[in-house]
Amino acid sequence: MSSLTLSNLTASYGQTPVLMRVSAEFSPGRLTVLAGPNGCGKSTLLKAIMGFLPKMHGDIILDGQPIGQIGRRRLARRIAYLPQESFCPDYMTLGELVELAGYSRYALVGGPSDRDRQLFRKALETVGLADKAHLQVNTLSGGQRQRAWIAMVLAQDTDIILMDEPVNHLDVKYQYAVLGLVRALVRQHGKTVIMVLHDLNLAATFADDIVLMNAGHILATGPVSATITSENIARVFDLDADIFPHDGRLVCLPRLAPSASASA
Amino acid sequence: MRRRALLPAVLSLLLLAALGLHLFLGRDAPPVTEALTALSRGEAGSYDQSVVLFQRLPRALIAIYAGAMTAAAGCVLQGLVRNPLASPSTLGINSGATLAVIAGVFLLDLGLEAQGFAALVGAVGGFLASLAVTRLAGRNNDPRGLSLILSGALVSMLLVGTTNALMLSDPMRRADFLSWVSGNVNHVYIDRLYAFWWIGVLCLLILGALSRALTLILLGSEKAASAGVNVRPVSTLALAAAVVGAGSAVAICGPIGFIGLVVPHLVRPFAGANVALALPCCLLLGAGISLLADFGAREAFHPYVLHTGLVMDLLGGLAFAMIVKRFYLSPAVRDQA
Repeated sequence: MSSLTLSNLTASYGQTPVLMRVSAEFSPGRLTVLAGPNGCGKSTLLKAIMGFLPKMHGDIILDGQPIGQIGRRRLARRIAYLPQESFCPDYMTLGELVELAGYSRYALVGGPSDRDRQLFRKALETVGLADKAHLQVNTLSGGQRQRAWIAMVLAQDTDIILMDEPVNHLDVKYQYAVLGLVRALVRQHGKTVIMVLHDLNLAATFADDIVLMNAGHILATGPVSATITSENIARVFDLDADIFPHDGRLVCLPRLAPSASASA
Repeated sequence: MRRRALLPAVLSLLLLAALGLHLFLGRDAPPVTEALTALSRGEAGSYDQSVVLFQRLPRALIAIYAGAMTAAAGCVLQGLVRNPLASPSTLGINSGATLAVIAGVFLLDLGLEAQGFAALVGAVGGFLASLAVTRLAGRNNDPRGLSLILSGALVSMLLVGTTNALMLSDPMRRADFLSWVSGNVNHVYIDRLYAFWWIGVLCLLILGALSRALTLILLGSEKAASAGVNVRPVSTLALAAAVVGAGSAVAICGPIGFIGLVVPHLVRPFAGANVALALPCCLLLGAGISLLADFGAREAFHPYVLHTGLVMDLLGGLAFAMIVKRFYLSPAVRDQA
């Protein structure tokens, strides 16, 4: 199990600062959700961990080692990343896509080992697409395609998985199916998952920990039950919401604003 | 999947068939027994045997090299610049290499080896010029990369114009290069093939070694990086290998269009997007089509021999129009935009 720590992370796109002195610790074997209003720096935080930002200060430590010192290939064996938008070229089959995930383990010549192939099969079984490996990814339905990308992330076989809004384009049924699957990975396989999620109810249902961000700062962080409170939601989203337990999980129900400020 | 794995074998057979056609058939073809004797002995004992050994075989080898290299370059370029119209002839690579060779000969009296080197430098220069013009035009608000292709066309026009000006300036030498400059597979260029073939082999080895990383880059640079690819160095090296490989083909027989643009489109529906499979398939099909086109150029207006480059340009114009229609003008695409 790997531990991931950020301290005093500051980053900017050009002149616009997007992360300001962010510090956080992601517990191994837990599902952490990053939430906050649009443009608060959630996705940027994931990109910072992946080393995709040109200008960045502060430390990101993976198991005691600064992440910038770990080469791309070695990092790919520790952390997998699912971007917000995924693009698959035409004619690529699901099997080929999943096989690409093993890139960091392959030698220059020679392809996947038997263990790799077993891993690919298991990844496809986990997302329920084992019988679709021969189909072209772009002919799959939206929900199947998103599960295909998740299978690719699983096939990379890393301890840590970063996901940027993995259920964004899915209908509610697949939202629950995909997130349930991710939570099972955390519970059964001890993966550490850090996930950007917009929907607080989904976060409350599936996450262990939550990090609430606003304007490049972390405003609150901790276990879901203690952190999703009316007070925190008001501070982070500028929104009045009722938070109440229902059937063993928290529900977040925003109050209707007075009509005058409805558009604000 | 299994069908796809058979594809290189099928294309190899096609290439062999095209080679057989090219060597043994056509009007004025020497008897097959004579041809086989010449090929197996490696020396010519009669006029017929020398035709096979010193005209048909060199011509075939040049056609294979030029076809394979431009097709491979087109395959890699279309993936890396994410543009279905990318190819050595649309991105200023061929015209850059052509200008460099002509300028080297007309202005500096370069010898054969130096001409080859000039072609490689010119190919890289022409490609970089196209990229630079695109940057000036601002490609941020151009999701389908039209400005890159337009820049390539503009740069090509400038380079071709300059080449023509140089050619016009020296009537004595013009005759030597008039056919080369329009792309001509001809056995007299065999010494150029002997001098430069290793460049292409080296480029192909590099591209082959990078093929898996190149497939990942098709998924986007961030996805590729997260899977362990060093995107920048891999892209730069692969672009360099593709451009230099295409330049080496120009150094041998002048600019041959069409193949680099079209072959990847022909291969992709069958081989898929996986570069490790698509690249060898492009090589084989590019070489095969090049042989067939050269066969056609040789036989169509017998006893006159057409320039293979001209045949290709005719076919290429048609293919260009079809690709534009499919990727830019079809109703589905227009609705997206």
